[in-house]
Amino acid sequence: MDTLRLLASQGAEAGWLSESFSYAFMVNALVAALLVGPLLGGLGTLVIAKRLAFFSEAVGHAALTGIAIGVLLGEPPENPIIGLFCFCMIFALLLHFVRNRTAVPYDTLVGVFLAVALAGGAALLMYVARKINIHMLENVLFGSILTITDFDLLVLGVSCLLIIVGLVFTFNRILLASISPDIAKVRGYNTHFYDYLFVMMITLVTIAAVKIVGAVLVGALLLIPGATARLMTKSMGSFVLLSSLLATLSCLIGTLLPMELKLPIPSGASIILVAASFFLIATIYRIIGGRS
Amino acid sequence: MGPSISLSNVALRYENNIVLQDISVSLDAGKCHVIMGPNGGGKTSLLRSILGLTPFKGEINVNWTDKKGKIGYVPQKATFEPSLPLTVLDFILLNQSRSPLFFNFNKKHKVKALAQLARLGMADRAMFRMGQLSGGEQQRVLFAQALLDNPDLLILDEPTNGMDDQGVRYFESLISDLVKEQKTILVVHHDISAVRRLEAIVHVVNGVLIESGDASEVLHTSKIEQLFNHYRSTPMTDVANKSTATTTSTNSEVA
Repeated sequence: MDTLRLLASQGAEAGWLSESFSYAFMVNALVAALLVGPLLGGLGTLVIAKRLAFFSEAVGHAALTGIAIGVLLGEPPENPIIGLFCFCMIFALLLHFVRNRTAVPYDTLVGVFLAVALAGGAALLMYVARKINIHMLENVLFGSILTITDFDLLVLGVSCLLIIVGLVFTFNRILLASISPDIAKVRGYNTHFYDYLFVMMITLVTIAAVKIVGAVLVGALLLIPGATARLMTKSMGSFVLLSSLLATLSCLIGTLLPMELKLPIPSGASIILVAASFFLIATIYRIIGGRS
Repeated sequence: MGPSISLSNVALRYENNIVLQDISVSLDAGKCHVIMGPNGGGKTSLLRSILGLTPFKGEINVNWTDKKGKIGYVPQKATFEPSLPLTVLDFILLNQSRSPLFFNFNKKHKVKALAQLARLGMADRAMFRMGQLSGGEQQRVLFAQALLDNPDLLILDEPTNGMDDQGVRYFESLISDLVKEQKTILVVHHDISAVRRLEAIVHVVNGVLIESGDASEVLHTSKIEQLFNHYRSTPMTDVANKSTATTTSTNSEVA
């Protein structure tokens, strides 16, 4: 990373790159964006195929409680990763477990879990506020490129590697298990295993993306590039590739733009606004294309 | 060679609703067996029990002659979201290969998938979205999927639903070919005249096994109305007692 930061700094000094690249945190943020973008875009297509948009939002919002628990248990408030990881994972797995064992409609169940997690988080934050400056949490909730460290990049890199390897080997089976679980079962695939694996991937990527996109907005980045790509593509392969490309572009542009334009906007909000503008363009294109 | 399947005292209930009760029958290997019966009679539940998709009481044994073979399955209905860009080719590749769809550059896979679609007359629809296809076309694709691994046991739940005449005829000739290859085929079917053409062994199910035997015997015009009576006029326990006797005699005939 030091070499990369040095090269970027030299590039900025020589005038090849923008002045923003002379800042180490900016290089860290862009590397993080390059790592997390393709993954969010790729997983987002499965979120859409499995109709789990509400679920990914819920996991993101559950991060609030995870952060509060982490801080209360003594983790550093700028990076309460253990509390975040444990709570989000338990939340997601428990939600899926209850779904498989009750007849309650899934969206209702997610709504209940989301409300409980948010209420718990709100209650705990009152206690957290006594220990730390509550505004520090905004970085975790809405993303802040200033706070990305080499350790964060390492965690991100390992998470991304695990998810990409998992996704390459299981993408088809996860998709088949969601489109036609009976056919998947007859083919001998353990559909429950693939369901839980996917839930774990979503949770892991949510946690990995917290620093750059923010816990609250990560669900949106899982969804918007996929929704945009769905409007523009005609096959599953191009759907995944375009979604990954759009998510990566959103992360990169959304990270760079506030710096270049000197706008006081959190990186998460900026990234989501860029992704949403892609969606808007695609929607207008489809409406106009549909008319003609 | 396909497997034989033996069912012994198979029962299934959803809470207070008894779906199947005391089904005992032996399905011979290398034959086409058709399950018929009125709506709500438990035909699909019986298929799902055999496939292990539904928990049941009793015993079901699929007896493979050698090692366990492949099973092909066409569900009664599959719902594909129209806006999802899942093409017909994508769906076949999903079932055929582990290479992820976004990274599948293997031409052999695509050639094989297209050949399978061509077999069912769907090659020219390969790039259509699954959700855009008519019900009959979707059934053809599901059938193509089921035949992918050259299965020894083929289980089809109303495979000709929504199919046009050409599709139905093609289905019948394919079933006939598969029986010649000694595959075991188990089909839920509603169309009595189509079943007569299949020359299959017919099992009529309405909660219990009502009758089993050659299509010409079971589907005799004099019996049809009685066999397919939607309402179970006799209490389930009485019917079950009667059916046990029927099943036993059927087994001995098959043996």
